[in-house]
Amino acid sequence: MLNNGDVILSVKDLHVKFSLRGKVLNAIRGISLDLYKGEALAIVGESGSGKSVLTKNFIGLLDKNGWVDSGEIWYYGLEGGPVDLAQYKTEEQWQGFRGKQVAMVMQDPMTSLNPLKTIGWQIEEALKLHQGLQGEAASKKAIEILSDVGIPEPERRAKQYPHEFSGGMRQRVVIAIAMACNPQILICDEPTTALDVTIQAQILQLIRNLKDKYGLTTIYITHDLGVVANVADRIAVMYAGDIVEVGTCEEVFYDPRHPYTWALLSSLPQLGIKGEDLYAIKGTPPNLFNEIRGDAFAPRNPHPLKIDFLYRPPYFEVSPTHKARTWLLDPRAAKVDPPEIIRHIRNIKLDTMDIKAKNAAEPTAES
Amino acid sequence: MGKYVLKRFGAALLSLFIIITLIFCLLRLMPIEGYLGPNVDKLSEEVIAAKLAAKGLDKPVPVQLFNFYRNLARGDLGKSWIYRENVDIVKIIKPKIKISAKLGAMAMALSLIVGIPLGATMARSKGKWPDKLGTGFIVFLQAAPSAVYFLFIQMYATKGTGLPMLYNDSKPISWILPIISLALPSIANYGMWMRRYMVDQMNQDYVKLARAKGVSNKAVMMKHVFRNAFVPMVQTIPSSLLFTIMGSLYVESIYSVPGMGGLLIDVIQRQDNTMVQALVLIFASVGIIGLFLGDILMVLVDPRISLTGKEESR
Repeated sequence: MLNNGDVILSVKDLHVKFSLRGKVLNAIRGISLDLYKGEALAIVGESGSGKSVLTKNFIGLLDKNGWVDSGEIWYYGLEGGPVDLAQYKTEEQWQGFRGKQVAMVMQDPMTSLNPLKTIGWQIEEALKLHQGLQGEAASKKAIEILSDVGIPEPERRAKQYPHEFSGGMRQRVVIAIAMACNPQILICDEPTTALDVTIQAQILQLIRNLKDKYGLTTIYITHDLGVVANVADRIAVMYAGDIVEVGTCEEVFYDPRHPYTWALLSSLPQLGIKGEDLYAIKGTPPNLFNEIRGDAFAPRNPHPLKIDFLYRPPYFEVSPTHKARTWLLDPRAAKVDPPEIIRHIRNIKLDTMDIKAKNAAEPTAES
Repeated sequence: MGKYVLKRFGAALLSLFIIITLIFCLLRLMPIEGYLGPNVDKLSEEVIAAKLAAKGLDKPVPVQLFNFYRNLARGDLGKSWIYRENVDIVKIIKPKIKISAKLGAMAMALSLIVGIPLGATMARSKGKWPDKLGTGFIVFLQAAPSAVYFLFIQMYATKGTGLPMLYNDSKPISWILPIISLALPSIANYGMWMRRYMVDQMNQDYVKLARAKGVSNKAVMMKHVFRNAFVPMVQTIPSSLLFTIMGSLYVESIYSVPGMGGLLIDVIQRQDNTMVQALVLIFASVGIIGLFLGDILMVLVDPRISLTGKEESR
C-alpha cells in the first residue's frame, strides 16, 4: 500500500523562512517528502521543530511574516494536473483549494469553534462553500455528518452553541467541519493534545474510521509517540526544521537509525526501566536564527562523530521505505551502538517475529 | 428569560431606592441655606420657621422621605427654591433634557456610523497606512484637550461653510456643528475599541479554522470577526445613549445650547438642594437602567451568557 500507492503531495527541497524582530529564521531547511494517497503519515518532533510550519504550507496558512524561500510543493489531487503550491502567493489562488483539497483539524477544540454561531451553522458554512448545498439540504447534510462523527442526537445538537459541548465533543465537531469540506488530505495538528486520555483514543479511532471510509490521506502532527504507534503507516521524524528520519511505523519504532530518533524513543516513559531515571535529551534545540553547520543534532548527541559538526549528512537509504540523515549510516563511519533501550526494542521485535514465524510454520492446535 | 429580566429589574429598583434614600438623607444634613437662599441670616427666627414649615421641612426626616416618594410616584420632583424660585423642577429640566438628548442621540448615531467602520477598517489593514492614519487621528482626539478642537471647529467651520455659530432650536442647520463636536470624542473611542476587539478576534483559533475551511478573508471578517468583536461593544450602547441627557458642559456652553450640560454643577454650587436631589435621582436612574438594558442586550447577542447562571451543560 505504501510504495505502490500514488503520490498525492510531493515536497521538494523546501525552505521556509520567517522574519522575526528584524532577523531571519530558517524554519524549514530543505525538506523533501512524498505523501501517498490514502496513507497516514505522522510527523513527530519536539516543539519548534517545524512540524506545523511544514504542513501550513500545504493549506496556505503560513503566518504573514513567513515565506517559501525556495523549493516546490506539488499537489497531484486536482483534475487539471499537478500544481505547485509553493507558487500560490495570493489569497485568491488559495481560495477553493483550502478546505476543498486539504482540510485541517486543530489542536485545541475549546477555541477552534466560533462561540457565537451554532454548530450546525459552522458545518453548513463549509458545506455551502465546498459541496454547493443550500438551505434545507445543507442542514440535513450537517446533521448527517454530525451523526457520522459520533455525536448523539444530532438534530438537537446542531442547534446548540460550542459552549454546550465538552472538549471531546467539540473536537468531533471540528472533525465534522473538516469532513464537510470533503477534502483529499486531512491534516490533524495535535488533534488529541488538549483532550484527556480516554477521549484521545476515541478521537483517534474516529479519524481512522473516517480515513478508511472516505479514503482520506491523513497527516498527523504530534509529539506523542503513543499516538503515532496507534494511527500512522509512516513516520517522519523532524528536528530543527528538517526531516532526519522517515520510514514505516515498524521501521522507525523497531529499527531507528538516527541518534535523535534513538533519543526520542529512549525518552518514552512506556519504555523506561522501573527504578531508573527516565532518559531526557540534554541541551536545547539549535537556534534557527543561525546558519546550522553539519548535523543539527550533533551538539546534543552523546556520541557525535567529528564529521557531524562539519558537514550536513545526506539521506542514507536503509530500505526502499526507510531513510535517515545521519553519517552513522555511511560505510566509512565508526560503529556506534544505539542505546540499550533501542537494542531492547529491537530484540522484542525479533522475538515477536520469531514467534510469528514459528506459528506460521507449525499450525497450532486451535486451527 | 422573563424570570431573569424580572430579577434584574427588581435588583435595579432596589439599588435606585438605596441611592435616592441616601442622597435624600445626606442632603438633610446640609445647612438650611440650601432651602432658603444665601440671605438666611437676615431673616428672623419666626420667618425661617414659617418658611420651612411651608415647605414641609419641619417634619421628621422619615416623613419627609415618605412625602418625597409619594410625590415622585405622581411624577412630581418638587420645586426649585433657588435656581428658579418656586418653579416646578420637571418644568425646568424637561425642555433641557429634550434638547440635550436630541443632540446627544444624533451625535451618538454619527459616532457609531463613523467610529465602528473606522475601527473595522483599521483592524483589517493592521499595520498598514489606513491603520496608522486612523491611529494618528484617534490619538490626537484622545490626547488633545477637546476644548482645543471644539473651538477650532467653531471658528473655522463657521467661517468656511457659513454654518451658524450659535445653536437655534428651530433651525436644524445650527445643530450640525454641536453634533459633530459631540461625536468626535466618541468616534475616537468607538474606533479604538472596535479595532482592538477585532484584532483580538482575528488572532483567535476559530478564525484560523474558518480560514482553513476555505472561507474567504472578506467573509471571515464579516461573518466571524466583525460580529464577534461587536458583542463587547453592545453592552455600553444603552448607557451611552441614555447618558446623552446629561448634556455636555463644554459643547453646550460654546454653542449656547440651552441643554442639561453643567446643570448639576450649577445647582450644587448654588445649593439648590431639591434640584440636586432631582438631578441625582434622574442620573442615577439613567445609569442603572443603562446597565440593566446593556445586560439584557448581551444576553440576546451572546449565547454563552446563560440566563440562570447554572445552565452550563458539559
